Amino acid sequence: MKYTRKDLGAYKLHLINTDKFKTIMVRVSFRSPIKKEEITLRNILSNMFMQSSKKYSSKRALTIKAQDLYAADLQTNNSRLGNYINTDFYLTVLNDKYTEKGNFKDSLDFLEEIIFNPDVEDGSFNEEKLDIVKTSCRSALNSIKENTSNYSLVKMFELFDKTSPSSYRMMGYLEDLDKIDGKNLYQHYLEMIKSSLVDIFVIGDINEEEVTKLIVERFAINTLKKQRVPYLLEEKKTRSKKLTDKEQIEGSQSKLAIACTVNGLSQYERNYPLSLFNIIFGGSSDSKLFKVVREENSLCYTIYSVPNKLDNLILIRAGIDKDSYDKCITLIEKCLTDMCKGNFTDSDINMAKEYFNTALEELEDSESKIINNYYMMELIGTDTIEEKREKMNKVTKEEIIKVAKKVSIDTIFLLEGVKNEGN
Amino acid sequence: MKEIKLKGLDLSVYVETLDNGLDVLYVPFVNKKNYFVSYATRYGSETTTFTPVGAKNNIKVPDGIAHFLEHKMFEQEDGTDPFSYFSTSGTGANASTSFDNTQYIFYGTKNFEDNLRFLLRYVNEPYYTDENVEKEKGIIAEEIKMYEDMPDWQCETKLREAIYKVHPRRVDIGGTVPEIMKITKEDLYTCYNNFYSPNNMFLLMVGNFDRFEASKIVHEMLDKITNKEKPEIKKIVEPKEINIKNQTINLPIKVPKIGMGLKVSAEELSDYDDLILDLYLEMLVAICFGPSSEFRERAHNKKIINNFYTDWESISGYKTLLILSSTNDPDDLINEIKQEFKNISINEDAFTRMKKVWIANEVKMADYVDSVEDNIYDDMIRYNKVIPNKVDLIRNLTLKDLNNIISKIDFDNLAVIKFIGKEKD
Repeated sequence: MKYTRKDLGAYKLHLINTDKFKTIMVRVSFRSPIKKEEITLRNILSNMFMQSSKKYSSKRALTIKAQDLYAADLQTNNSRLGNYINTDFYLTVLNDKYTEKGNFKDSLDFLEEIIFNPDVEDGSFNEEKLDIVKTSCRSALNSIKENTSNYSLVKMFELFDKTSPSSYRMMGYLEDLDKIDGKNLYQHYLEMIKSSLVDIFVIGDINEEEVTKLIVERFAINTLKKQRVPYLLEEKKTRSKKLTDKEQIEGSQSKLAIACTVNGLSQYERNYPLSLFNIIFGGSSDSKLFKVVREENSLCYTIYSVPNKLDNLILIRAGIDKDSYDKCITLIEKCLTDMCKGNFTDSDINMAKEYFNTALEELEDSESKIINNYYMMELIGTDTIEEKREKMNKVTKEEIIKVAKKVSIDTIFLLEGVKNEGN
Repeated sequence: MKEIKLKGLDLSVYVETLDNGLDVLYVPFVNKKNYFVSYATRYGSETTTFTPVGAKNNIKVPDGIAHFLEHKMFEQEDGTDPFSYFSTSGTGANASTSFDNTQYIFYGTKNFEDNLRFLLRYVNEPYYTDENVEKEKGIIAEEIKMYEDMPDWQCETKLREAIYKVHPRRVDIGGTVPEIMKITKEDLYTCYNNFYSPNNMFLLMVGNFDRFEASKIVHEMLDKITNKEKPEIKKIVEPKEINIKNQTINLPIKVPKIGMGLKVSAEELSDYDDLILDLYLEMLVAICFGPSSEFRERAHNKKIINNFYTDWESISGYKTLLILSSTNDPDDLINEIKQEFKNISINEDAFTRMKKVWIANEVKMADYVDSVEDNIYDDMIRYNKVIPNKVDLIRNLTLKDLNNIISKIDFDNLAVIKFIGKEKD
């Protein structure tokens, strides 16, 4: 595997040459500081890309074109990376070796068409198509309570800190949806294209020179941008008293969502001891939470913790019976205290390191994971795979305990399932 | 060991059958770091009435028992926790139960041989006690409740209840809380002893491992296991008619949903090999209801379709198409689908394009160890064999045969459900 990074001024081009895959994957990433009121707009925009373009006037025409390119797969995705919103285009297409000469080039033309030639007239997206996308988005937002696990997280974050980007809902907001029209959507599109930081990745069995030429010809982005907003969110002071709340919903099970602040981490702690802490605490089926709350006390089927590294947070999620709430909280608190006291073994640490190592090795089997690894190196200066392996293996128990002591339970929310018989 | 080349995919499956009847499949990859192993039995939630080997009469075990048994497989007499064991080498492990199969898996990049030994040991050494069976009930009850709270899951279950009159596929894989509360350790041993025997199981290994070493371990661990007779499973005769043709069901949802089930009797289509028939039926749905179909464009422009899901499933004697969608106008969407069924016509271009898409997807799939595992696993469950020439089979599909199959389907044999939100309290 050979990695080349080219600074082309307006964007960075990352080429990863490997013969391990039959496909070529291209990822184009646009990122800019996140604004809450723009999330819905961005969501609608991503959907509009997949609706039509100048050349392909309907979703069906667009789908048929992709199918003709030997099932080229094109997807868009929006995500939040700390203080930034990130919009990705992923194109996965079979290498010409398995199709016909020119298919990759045609696929890049297709990608270019979708990104740079939207279905716009007189400075406005087509209102009729926009209405289709808005209707579908409205339905999704209206169905938000159907996924109780997700909904409990939304409610927990509202409680935790409405103003923090960590609470922003990537699905968007109904109140913002109504404000969107073809014109302001087009303005948002222009802004995304002009002022985002852009990275382009190409991975596969490729000829670097050829691919560089193909990309440069098609991605004529030429505005220079400077953005100096840090990726990492500001730390939020932990409440002196835990904030708890409940809401009732019709359902059989109750969903528990907890935010723990993790303040005062060094970059090293964030990348290594924190990861190990989480695997031992709640990030695996051999974790303390899983063993204590599920296996020993039979209180739940799912329970896990997940670190939001750029947000200085660890989230704990579980599906429980509402009557076990107090017991669950006590046990979760005890698991955390145990971590702080160093009540975990060397074999726990080794297990966590092995998990981490496996994840590093597996990464090399997936095009999207390889790209993401390089993207994180580009964005937040994470280490290379080799450095990661080395540093992780050296993490000590004391370092994990030190991180554990920085974890404090801050907000606890229970979405209480109540059965409403009489249906 | 027999080599079966997967044509066009640069992959081979090596197959051997042990004396006790267990099929073992090895699919080594040269350029991957990870592996994926599955040990499976052709026994799932829908087998609940059978005559155990050596017994005279039928018994009915509680619904959800196959899934319960899967959970309890992780209990070992010496107290070892399989999750912990696999964790020590950073290996992931899991298990899952379906209607007609149960599998135990591990996946990772290291320690393959010891992990394989461990898998073969723990799945072959059940250890059920009154105490550990009781303890599991709380966990599984929470799992069942979790699914109960997922409206999409509920819709699928309700749809099967509407399609099938007697077939146990009507019952959710996990069973119900009252049913699982009845389960005893004796029930579990009965099911284990009848359905976890080598001739009812297979072992599939895909990815980065040495097949010769793997084979040695398989023989060393499994040759000693003798085959058992097969129990007699009660034959279920599912009538052709739809159970409930039309109904409206209230759910705690804000945006309505629809469920439609087309029950196709396989009797009239018995000229076709099962796999070929499945390919044609999937082709029919891909062309008529897939993302590039005219139907989808129409429904999309009318704003009556949100997320649209289709899937064919097979039970003995039938192929059933399940359609589920969220919609702002259930009546209109149902009507559109019915119209589409009435006026099916397949255009040659769409047919040729779809074949191209499928062939490309087969090649793409071969890049990923887990996708290859998934595909071979499905074929083993559905057809009980490795399919070496899927690309050719797709290439050889003809429009004439597809139209012939379409002409034999009764598109009115349909279950229709509207799911509507409850009144706000």
